[in-house]
Amino acid sequence: MNLNIDAVKAQTFDAIVIGSGISGGWASKELTEKGLKVLMLDKGKQLEHVSGYENAMKNPWDTMYNGRLTVAQKESHPKLARDYPYNENTEKYWMNDSDSMYQEEKRFDWYRPDIVGGKSIMWGRQSYRLSDIDFEANLKEGIAVDWPIRYKDIAPWYSYVEKFAGISGEKLGLPQLPDSDFLPAMDMYCVEKEVKKKIAENFPGRIMTIGRVANLSEAQKAQTGVGRSGCQYRNKCSLGCPYGAYFSTQSATLPAAMKTGRLTVRPDSVVKEIMYDENKNRATGVRVIDTNTLEVIEFYAKIVFVNGSTLGSTSVLLNSTSNRFPNGMGNDSGELGHNLMDHHFKIGASGEWEGGKDNYYLGRRANGIYVPRYRNIGNDKRDYVRGFGYQGGGSRAGWNQGSGEKAFGADMKESLTKPGPWRMGLSGFGECLPYHENRMYLHKTEKDKWGLPIAVFDAEFKENEAKMRIDMQNDAQEMLEKAGMKNVRSYDNKSYPGMAIHEMGTARMGRDPKTSVLNGNNQLHSVPNVFVTDGAAMTSASCVNPSLTYMALTARAADFAVKEMKKRNI
Amino acid sequence: MNRRELIQRVTVMLGGVMAAPLMTGAMGQVLNTEPGLAVDDSQEKLLAEIADIIIPATSTPGAKEAGAHNFIVRVVRDCYTKAEQKKFYDGLAKLNDDSKSKYGKGFVELTLPQKNEMIEDATVYNKDFFREMKNLTITGYFTSEIGATQALAYDPIPGKFDGCTTLEKGQKAWAL
Repeated sequence: MNLNIDAVKAQTFDAIVIGSGISGGWASKELTEKGLKVLMLDKGKQLEHVSGYENAMKNPWDTMYNGRLTVAQKESHPKLARDYPYNENTEKYWMNDSDSMYQEEKRFDWYRPDIVGGKSIMWGRQSYRLSDIDFEANLKEGIAVDWPIRYKDIAPWYSYVEKFAGISGEKLGLPQLPDSDFLPAMDMYCVEKEVKKKIAENFPGRIMTIGRVANLSEAQKAQTGVGRSGCQYRNKCSLGCPYGAYFSTQSATLPAAMKTGRLTVRPDSVVKEIMYDENKNRATGVRVIDTNTLEVIEFYAKIVFVNGSTLGSTSVLLNSTSNRFPNGMGNDSGELGHNLMDHHFKIGASGEWEGGKDNYYLGRRANGIYVPRYRNIGNDKRDYVRGFGYQGGGSRAGWNQGSGEKAFGADMKESLTKPGPWRMGLSGFGECLPYHENRMYLHKTEKDKWGLPIAVFDAEFKENEAKMRIDMQNDAQEMLEKAGMKNVRSYDNKSYPGMAIHEMGTARMGRDPKTSVLNGNNQLHSVPNVFVTDGAAMTSASCVNPSLTYMALTARAADFAVKEMKKRNI
Repeated sequence: MNRRELIQRVTVMLGGVMAAPLMTGAMGQVLNTEPGLAVDDSQEKLLAEIADIIIPATSTPGAKEAGAHNFIVRVVRDCYTKAEQKKFYDGLAKLNDDSKSKYGKGFVELTLPQKNEMIEDATVYNKDFFREMKNLTITGYFTSEIGATQALAYDPIPGKFDGCTTLEKGQKAWAL
């Protein structure tokens, strides 16, 4: 009897955080710093900061295939091998296709990490604030439902997370892209300076700025205090940074949470479901399957933060059924799993610059440039709604510059050892509307290796996105041509949902419990001690990279949750 | 913490790990689901000689000394499908056969001008093989230790970024 009580005590926390990526790390940091005893779970394996980044310091000659995948890897990863993020050097960070079973009614590229830290290790680090143009769009256009928050609600939380995470960028004062609390902006390549100037001259209302990125251009106390240091300009971020120079769970939120002495991290723990007490109308904890032993373990807590990534979080909620919630926890509206979004991209243009022959560069900037949205802003009106931004950047080719079909020998070798032409590329990232019919759901019979129902995807980009892509392609070409680039080629390499790894929606925030899953504090409308603060919460997608918003929403919701606990409301 | 201390700290922390990739490379494990086509010493030698014509020694060592052929054998074995492997090695055999019909000797035994002649021929009569071999040789060479650090400028930890410097006379392209 005593043993049981002890066991229950050992498995009881103030809060459980499901997932350890960008938002899970933030939840754990905020909740532990506010005095809560927290258990952070991740289905992935442990990844130690620095020593776990096995490929981070490799020379090119230390790799087997210079990044290529083997035939065996392609065969065992038929889905992941469809695109670039899975390669020789990042292989261990991603979940095997055989473990990540899912079905595609329509093609969906689902990138699932298999490590503590989640995608905070491999993310692109581009960090932008949403604006009121984003928060008001659904209401103004009568699309989906209204966001329950506005910019003023989240602005102080953007500042709060930015000061800790460290976002480098340039202040512009644009209404559609509010400035962050920036670290110094990174420099531009010669070719980018040229294109920036020409865009400003030729296209009123369009601006090219340096990317806003979660890399430390200059480490501040908030960052050195958790052991981070400045960017070394190696541009090897996705391998894991031994310098802690970009924001990740391991470099930033995890050490902060560990410092409190109140965090327990449990890797190899896939959450089966959130347990629910119908009498109290509260979640009581989670049921976890140990991925190594397959043992089922229960953990208990007063609040649960669901941060398992958009589709992971929604899968957990959908699988958490009870008498009260036969269709998934918090799913009174029937919207759980619906309104799945991603950015559409892989479209743009690139060209060569004949100038700058006498210029070169030093260091490899782990960042690109950004052209903030200019379509459907102010007086601009298109035959579609919303808009897109461009990412991209300049480079000066090296040994991979190409040498003509028949060249070989000493002359070719000599030419490849000298800097080649400057190039410039612009690649659009477009907003996708929240369509109710774009969804993921759990398969009725098919189970994965842990006995959990597998996800099925039924989502596609539609007419509004297709119309937008015409501008995305043409505008890129036009801007580069006007900027004096030569051999400008535009492309549309086709984009499928999931590929941008900006999956959003499926448990949206809203004002009305009848049409949304979460309220304005990321709290389940119907279960007040469960919070979802990752991409699942997004009511619309904006066209900017979303992770910074997850950070801000998480810190804000954690603050609310702890205040509510103190008031004994939850 | 200055840059030197930072690098030292990271190197110490990664100390045990730095040796691992080299070990993997040395063990040369076969990762293909079925074993790749067997490559014998004479084929390897042939690849090394061809690579050395594509990227010869100049003021810096060539592809052979850099060991580009080891990379080529490894990539073809593990990253090419069986059909792609066969096509590649058929192309290699054809080059050697063409050399025998033209000069009565295998490629390896030819004089340097004759070798250059044969590769010149291959750009027309053995096009696919030449293109594949050239691409592999270029990657294998410029990502080798010799290629990256001697033929190119290698700076693994720049520590700073300047997007628009003056190109110095004779400045080499960056390896990374």
